[in-house]
Amino acid sequence: MEKLRNDVQQIFRDVFGDDQLVLTDTMTAADVPGWDSLGHLNLIIAMEKRFGIKFATAEISRLKDEGQNVGTLLALVETKRG
Amino acid sequence: MSRLNKKPSSCRIARNNTMHESADPGPNLHDVADHLIAAPAAKTSEAFNELAACLRQAIAKGGCNAAAAALRRAIVPTLDYTRLQSLQRIRKQLRGKAVAGRAAIKLAILGSFTTKQLADFIDLFLFAAGVEANIFEGEYGVFRQDIFDPHSELHGFGPKVLFLATTWRDLTQHPGYASEASDISKVVEAEFAEWAGLWQRAHQDMNCQIIQNNFTLPSWRPFANHETRHPGSPGRYIALVNQRLAEAAPSYVNIHDVDFLASLAGRSRWDDPRFYHNAKLPCDPECLVDYAHSVASIVAAQLGLAKKCLVLDLDNTLWGGVIGDDGLGGIRLGQGDPAGEAFLEFQKYVQSLRRRGVLLAVCSKNEHQVAWEVFEKHPETALRHDDFSCFMANWNDKASNLRAIAQQLNIGLDSLVFIDDNPAERAIVRQLVPEVAVPEMPDDVTGWVRTIEQHRYFQVLSVGTEDFQRTAYYQADQARREIQSSSTDIETFLRSLEMKARIGPIDAATLERSVQLIHRSNQFNLTTRRHSVADISRILQDSDWITRTISLADRFGDNGLISVLMACVRGNALEIDTWLMSCRVLKRGVEQFLLNHLCFLARERGLSVLRGEYIPTPKNALVREHYAGLGFTKIGESADGTTRWELPLTPEWKPLTAFIQEDNTYGKAEK
Repeated sequence: MEKLRNDVQQIFRDVFGDDQLVLTDTMTAADVPGWDSLGHLNLIIAMEKRFGIKFATAEISRLKDEGQNVGTLLALVETKRG
Repeated sequence: MSRLNKKPSSCRIARNNTMHESADPGPNLHDVADHLIAAPAAKTSEAFNELAACLRQAIAKGGCNAAAAALRRAIVPTLDYTRLQSLQRIRKQLRGKAVAGRAAIKLAILGSFTTKQLADFIDLFLFAAGVEANIFEGEYGVFRQDIFDPHSELHGFGPKVLFLATTWRDLTQHPGYASEASDISKVVEAEFAEWAGLWQRAHQDMNCQIIQNNFTLPSWRPFANHETRHPGSPGRYIALVNQRLAEAAPSYVNIHDVDFLASLAGRSRWDDPRFYHNAKLPCDPECLVDYAHSVASIVAAQLGLAKKCLVLDLDNTLWGGVIGDDGLGGIRLGQGDPAGEAFLEFQKYVQSLRRRGVLLAVCSKNEHQVAWEVFEKHPETALRHDDFSCFMANWNDKASNLRAIAQQLNIGLDSLVFIDDNPAERAIVRQLVPEVAVPEMPDDVTGWVRTIEQHRYFQVLSVGTEDFQRTAYYQADQARREIQSSSTDIETFLRSLEMKARIGPIDAATLERSVQLIHRSNQFNLTTRRHSVADISRILQDSDWITRTISLADRFGDNGLISVLMACVRGNALEIDTWLMSCRVLKRGVEQFLLNHLCFLARERGLSVLRGEYIPTPKNALVREHYAGLGFTKIGESADGTTRWELPLTPEWKPLTAFIQEDNTYGKAEK
C-alpha cells in the first residue's frame, strides 16, 4: 500500500505539476489546486495507464462525490489491481 | 562522435537566447530535448521528467526563449496524452513571454464535444511548428447558432480558419433501416446540403477557410457483416456521406479525414464511450494526440510550413548492408530475403511520395560512383536516379551535405526531413543543423513507413499537375545549369533558353496552383501574405484588384506556373500586395518581364504610379532589394524593416530588357 501511495503521489505530482505535493487520505479535490473536472480526467487517464486498470463510467464520476477522498481513491485502485 | 561527448558549448545557448536573457542558462536545454527524442522506451520517463524540470527551471530564471526553443523540439506526435498535458502547462507559462513563432493564426474550434483537450493539443503542435495560435473555442454543441448569428462571439473573433469538430452524433439525417437503395441518394444530398449551408455562411460572413471533419464509422453494426451492403444501414450511410463530402466540398473547405484516424487507432479503441459519457470527449484520450496533430498539420500546411524534401541515407536505409563492403550482389534489396523485401517496400513508399510531389535527395557517406551504380545496375531497386533531385554521396559530414542540398534545391533547411538508420548521425545532424527535421527511427526498417507517416511532414491540401512533375522540373534545371556554365555571358545564356511565358489572371485553371505557391513560397516572396482560398475568391470578384500568374517554358522543358502577383488600384496608384516566384526560375528575367506587363496594365487603366513593399521575414532576404533592382525609389521604411517603394510611370519610363516571349498559347493544347 505504501508503494501504491508513492506511485499515486507521483502521478498527482505529474498531473498537477506540483513536485512538492504530499498525499493524505483525507485530501479531497478542494485541497489540490487544479483538481477540477479536467484535472480529474487527467488523473484517471494517468492512473489507468500507470496501473493497467480501467475505471467504470460510474466510478469515474463517483470519485468526485461528497465523502470521497484520496483514501477511497487509493482503496479503489488497490481493489482494481487485485 | 567527439562532438557528441563534449559538454554543451555556450554558443548554442547564445543562439537560442535573446540578448536580455540571463547569462546563466543552466543545462543546455536543446541537448536535454534531443536526449528525450532519442531516448529508448525504457528511458523515456526519466528523460521526460528531466526535460520538464529543466524547462520549469529555465522559465523561473527568465530563460523563456531557450525554453521555448527546446519545448518546440520536444513536442512530437509520439508522446502520450499525459506527457503532452504536462508540456501544455509549460507552454502556457511561456505564452507571450518567449519570442514569437514565425507565423500566427486565428483559429476557431466549434464542436459538439469537449474541445478543451483537443484545442490545447492543437495549440501545442502549432507552437511546435512555430505558429502562435489564437484559439476561440465555441460553447459545447452550439456551432450552428455560432455560425448563423452574425452577432455571435465567433463573428466578433473573426477566425482565419474555422474547424468544425463534429462526430457521427452530429449527422442531421438518418435513413430508415428499411430504406431502399433508391431513397438513399436523396438523404445523402440533404445531409450534404446541411453542411454546405454552414460552410457557405461561415465563408461568406467571416471570410475564413474551413476544416470539416468527416464522420467516423461507429464501432457497432446493427446489420453485422451486411452493414456495408444494406441501403438503410448507418455504416453504409456514413460511408456515402463521407464520399460525398470528399467529392463535393468547395475549395475553401478541407475535409479532415478523422475516420482514417479512427481506423488507424482501431475503432473499438477510438470509441471509448466512458470518456464520452463522463467528459464528452470524442474518443479515447490517447487518440486525441494524433487527432490534434492531424488538424495542426493541416493548419500549418495552410501557412506554408509543410516539408518539401525527404533526404535519405543509403546503407542500411535504402538497402540492407554496406554497398562499399558488400557490393551490388551482397546488399539486401528485393525479393527472396525478408530484410531485402522490407527495404524494397520502404523504397516503394518513398517513391510514392516522390510521385505525389515530395522531392527526394540522397545524403550518404559513400564513394559517389559506387552508390550511384546501385540505382543504375541493381536488378531490384525500385528507386532510380531520376527519382532524386539531388545526390550527395561523398565523405563530407552530413550537416554540410544537408546545407548543400537545401542550397541546390533552393529551399530552406527547415523544409528538409532527414532519414538515417544510424542514431549517432541523427544526433549530430540534430545538433549541427537543428532546422532539419530528424525523426527517431525504429531499429527495424518495417516500422519506418509508420514513423514517417506519423509525423505528417508532407501534409498536403491539394494536388495538381505541378506536383506530379516537380522532380522533372528540377532535372531540367540541372541541364540549364550546365549550359549556363558553358555560356560566356548571361545574355547569351538567357537567349539560348528560348523562354516562352503564358501570363494571365488567376482563374479556375490556375487557382489551385496559385494558392499552393502563396502558401509555400518563402524566399522570393515580397510580403509573405498567406491569402486563403477564401481571400482570393473575394479578390477575384473585385474589379479594383489585378491578379497575374506566369507559366514559363524553355527549350529544356516546362517550368509550370512559377509566379503570382496580386495588386490593388488605390487612387492613381497600383499597389502590389503580393509578388512571389518559385526559386526554380531565379535570375531568368521573369521579374523584368512581369514588371513590363504590369506597367502596361497600369497605364491602360490610366494609373500613374506603381507602389510595392517588402516585408522582411527570416527567409526572404533574397528580395530585399527587389524593387531597387527594378528601378523603384524607396519612399519609406518602418522600424520592423518593412520598406516601401514607388515607380512613377512617366513618359520617360521604358520597358526593361527581358528575354522572355509572351506566348499565351503554349501548354494550352495539353489541357
